[in-house]
Amino acid sequence: MFKAIEVLQPNFIQRPLNELWQLISPLYKMDEEKWLKELLPLAKPSDAELIEHTEAASKLITAVRKDDDSMSMIDALLLEYSLDTKEGILLMCLAEALMRVPDKETADAFIKDRLSVADWASHAKNSDSFFVNASTWGLLLTGKIVTMDEKKDGTPANLVNRMVNRVSEPVIRKAMNQAMKIMGHQFVLGRSIKEALSRGKDYREKGYTYSFDMLGEAALTAQDADKYLRSYEQAVESVGNDSFKKGHRPTISIKLSALHPRYEVGCEERVMTELFASVKGLIAKARALNVGITIDAEEADRLELSLHLFEKLYHDDVTRGWGSFGLVVQAYSKRALPVLVWLTALAKEQGDRIPVRLVKGAYWDSEIKLCQQRGVEGYPVYTRKESTDVSYLACAHFLLSEHARANIFPQFASHNAHTIATINCIATKLGATTQEFEFQRLHGMGDALYNCLIKNSDICVRIYAPVGSHKDLLPYLVRRLLENGANSSFVHRLIDASYPVSELVDHPVTTLEKRKSLANPHINLPSGLFEDRKNSFGPNIEIESDWTPFKAQIDTFMGQDVQWRAFPIVGGEKVATGHTYSINSPYDHSQTAGQIDWADAGTVTKAIDLAEAAFPAWSARPASERADCLDKMADLMEENYPELMALCHREAGKTIQDSIDEVREAVDFCRYYAQQARSHFANPTHYKDFLGQDKQAKLNGRGVFTCISPWNFPLAIFTGQVVAALVVGNTVVAKPAEQTSLIAFRAVEMLHQAGVPADVLHLLPGDGATVGAPLTSDKRIAGLAFTGSTGTAQLINRTLGARDVAPVPIIAETGGQNAMLVDSTSLPEQVVRDAVRSAFASAGQRCSALRVLFVQEDIADRVIPMIKGAMAEQSVGLPYLHSTDVGPVIDKKAQKMLLDHIEHMKVEGKLIGQTALPDFAENGTFVAPTAFEIASIDQLTDEKFGPIMHVVRYKARDLDKIIDTINNSGFGLTLGVHSRNETTCARIASRARVGNLYINRDQVGAVVGVQPFGGQGLSGTGPKAGGPHYLQRFAIEQDL
Amino acid sequence: MTIVQPIQIQVAQKVFEAWDKIGVHGRADKLLQSLNAFQSDEKKMAVWQIENAKASIAEKRVMPGPTGERNELSTQGRGPFLCISALEGRHAKIGLVGQVFAALIAGNPVITVGPIGQEIMDMISPFVPEGVVQNIAESAQDSLVDADHLAGVATLCDAAQAQQLSQRLAAKSGLICQLIEETDAEKLSVIAKPHYILRFVTERTVSNNTTAIGGNATLLELGSKSD
Repeated sequence: MFKAIEVLQPNFIQRPLNELWQLISPLYKMDEEKWLKELLPLAKPSDAELIEHTEAASKLITAVRKDDDSMSMIDALLLEYSLDTKEGILLMCLAEALMRVPDKETADAFIKDRLSVADWASHAKNSDSFFVNASTWGLLLTGKIVTMDEKKDGTPANLVNRMVNRVSEPVIRKAMNQAMKIMGHQFVLGRSIKEALSRGKDYREKGYTYSFDMLGEAALTAQDADKYLRSYEQAVESVGNDSFKKGHRPTISIKLSALHPRYEVGCEERVMTELFASVKGLIAKARALNVGITIDAEEADRLELSLHLFEKLYHDDVTRGWGSFGLVVQAYSKRALPVLVWLTALAKEQGDRIPVRLVKGAYWDSEIKLCQQRGVEGYPVYTRKESTDVSYLACAHFLLSEHARANIFPQFASHNAHTIATINCIATKLGATTQEFEFQRLHGMGDALYNCLIKNSDICVRIYAPVGSHKDLLPYLVRRLLENGANSSFVHRLIDASYPVSELVDHPVTTLEKRKSLANPHINLPSGLFEDRKNSFGPNIEIESDWTPFKAQIDTFMGQDVQWRAFPIVGGEKVATGHTYSINSPYDHSQTAGQIDWADAGTVTKAIDLAEAAFPAWSARPASERADCLDKMADLMEENYPELMALCHREAGKTIQDSIDEVREAVDFCRYYAQQARSHFANPTHYKDFLGQDKQAKLNGRGVFTCISPWNFPLAIFTGQVVAALVVGNTVVAKPAEQTSLIAFRAVEMLHQAGVPADVLHLLPGDGATVGAPLTSDKRIAGLAFTGSTGTAQLINRTLGARDVAPVPIIAETGGQNAMLVDSTSLPEQVVRDAVRSAFASAGQRCSALRVLFVQEDIADRVIPMIKGAMAEQSVGLPYLHSTDVGPVIDKKAQKMLLDHIEHMKVEGKLIGQTALPDFAENGTFVAPTAFEIASIDQLTDEKFGPIMHVVRYKARDLDKIIDTINNSGFGLTLGVHSRNETTCARIASRARVGNLYINRDQVGAVVGVQPFGGQGLSGTGPKAGGPHYLQRFAIEQDL
Repeated sequence: MTIVQPIQIQVAQKVFEAWDKIGVHGRADKLLQSLNAFQSDEKKMAVWQIENAKASIAEKRVMPGPTGERNELSTQGRGPFLCISALEGRHAKIGLVGQVFAALIAGNPVITVGPIGQEIMDMISPFVPEGVVQNIAESAQDSLVDADHLAGVATLCDAAQAQQLSQRLAAKSGLICQLIEETDAEKLSVIAKPHYILRFVTERTVSNNTTAIGGNATLLELGSKSD
């Protein structure tokens, strides 16, 4: 970690660029306490400065509050409907979705869903703003009318109300759409750049200037990216040709994710060529017309990539010598300061000034959540608001220092009066003139604050103004609301007259230093997400400092010189049977991962003999001791992460992220079941029996358990079944899938190393006839866990039942015909992203994968082409490359079945799209992701376990019929739902007979202990793996 | 050959969704009304099954996880259940009552058999929607056991009978039909245990990401909460 304070030394930026670059990435997940201690001195004022900053801020706030127009309409709206009110959230949801709903019925149902459950009356007349009151009364009125329909007792009064309701529905819809348009109007400067330029004139007369942002989602298809590029080009032209001469020239802000469908680290090559070319074209145009360009900042995962691209563009002749090509840096990022240092050095080296907008950052919540989901070892952002403010001031201090501002043009974007006042003070102290930096604010916000500022200063203030149709408003609006709607935000407190000025002007350094800890104790690190167990960790493959060293370790296992040699393990001994098979890599059959000996009949019998004999002692051990073995196993897997990932690649053909998820799931199973066993198996349960007598029951092991696992989760499901059976007190004979026995062999070795006795757990690789059959027909088998096809589960059940012994538990996890239901309130971009991931990730070889997508017909013509476009952007290839989205399928048999189905569907259905295969596909077993439109789910008889999606259009009124057809398939594993209408979601949830229902997200990747997983009907017996009832089924409940 | 689905299965399937939907408390309210007709120990058994279900499966369980999404685990009934007793003895009827109430309170429609079944059905049926409890003649039992869409069989029987029944259920195609057997008619050592109820349910996880679309307010609140 570098010494932050050193950046103030002028010679710091004279270090080689590469050396400065190396300072950036390691801060991604740096310990927050440590790093903030480094940063604080940069932001900390002297006692005299503190007084000066506080006075300046107080003066500014007092002046703002004196101004009668201090509250813009948006400020007022945010004040009344802050996000800690139900109404605020409902309003946000309505605004987000209503305008894109094309059909009346769905729109009416959606309005009713949103409006009838909130207390709008409580907001009436609370605000002085006409706009807020008008909206409130509108909502109150419509809310009331809509609610009345709920009373269905048929009294005359209600009959009238119902008539009113019926008559009024179109009126309400119209009124609501109008209300949303008004809101849109407030937040969006213009629907086109021309309108924006025209509406912006008033402010430019006052001395403001603009940076225009073209609204839109991230592009998912090449067509959308092209559309956004055209709109940026037009924006550049319009601004370039603008005849308004007063003040500073407006600029254009561009979002790179809108200009390329795969703006991500995995596609760096495409980003550095295709996206580079698009932006270069824009720059050429902009430079010719003298319109400055600013690259917006996006998610933390894209920061390093964005800098690489910026550097390449900056060095290019098209930009060289210009000085108006800039970018945005987010102060909430721990990497902000070294990024600014690197940019300064870059600018110094080339001699062209770089305009840099310093913002606080708008993706804070999703950054935190993403890290929690991925098990990253830290956060890329600060966990306290005041830490972000401290970072902002520290960065400002650097930017305003002479050696930085000579190379960078700082643009401070903030609505915080304290920040603004403090920056002015720092600038004065460091001798920066008002020509050497500027301020920026958002359209519709902070008007009064900056009106006060420009009254007394000739500083340039630029308004960041969104341009675009009102229906594209949603992500922008939602983000702004989230950013500023919470009570704690400065904007909220500034306009709340009851909030004392003295509390608004606390210096963030003072606030932060008063805290017990610099990091926020309410936001646990991802590893501490669960109270009672450690979360598994995963490297972030998008971050250089996290991924590069990790990948280097995996690479040591990737060469053909590394071959695994596996055997049956019985009584802790490797048994060489002579039945030796090679295991080929699914992506290239000329490559082998190793060799394995299959078990023979004698080996199987010996394993069961030993397991039977070992049962009494193992089941008598305290549950906590058995649980300790699981915890140790979890740690061992994390220690051997690189090897296990290499096995996932080479033996199972899994992609990088899938391999990480595989290891994480296995680790989570161990820790979760260990914790469950300690809670429920260590001590007896006290209860009163039905006659009222006190009783004690204890859950004990049953005997020898057979575990038969599939190839699609060769480590996670294998380990999950085995450790569940073990921790309860059973001994285990385990048969992994033939295709993926090497990784199972390593898992069993590690389990023994973790303390599971040699005679308690035995590995029996082999086929169904030699190994599977005796493992299901032996009388001593006391229970069985199986994951695989429905047909095999039935066969196993019959074999087990045919034995001349009492019935035993069978825990079967089988197939699905998983659907996703999408209505017209959903966001097409989100639907397509989630559907494509659900259907094609892991080459569709997940039990949970999407097979049939039901799209409401009113939006099908928008969604289906977008699916086609997004599929065209998928990359099928070698699973160990970051650029690969879809790897091979497991073997030739699977490939043939899938290719046959594709041929069949080409006749039965209508081809939507098919992703291209790589040239080397012939070397392995690849199947191109393919989508078909079909008329009904009834056209599918059984599950096709691979990357094939079927799409069915449905009418909104037929939703119940669709649920019936899904239920009638007999399967019941996963179901996805995309709808903003909570009533619709609840209705589907209550009717659909599925084990796992996912609302407004993808439908794969269930997390142990968070989303217990398993189906019903033909999809499985239950109980759910990774759930609180799973272990009980492996046990017998006995009175003491 | 066309397989004709026994009418009782069709009826049970029709009422299943509505019966399951009213939840443990809704079903408990109805089932408790039927208790007066039961004899002392049978009644105690019925109450015990209801209370046990209330304590263990009535409420949705909110699972921990990343901030801003909601993950809930709940239980549902499995579908039509056949409840039978091949044993006689002092406790056999109490056991059968236990099976029937466990199956019902878990959300399943129940089909009972023969005169004892009729007796139990007559006591419950006035208080539950039509079709939730049905009874068949002993002669029809085999066709029910063999029927598709039978979710499970709860039986009191000896070990040999259990094994035979298990084989028969396994021979069927379609979903794996649950066999929940009690072979200890004296102590009812399976039926009267806290985890017995879990055999009658299937679980469902609902993961709701609605509040997290485009960001989530919960996390922002946490970020600004005082220590």
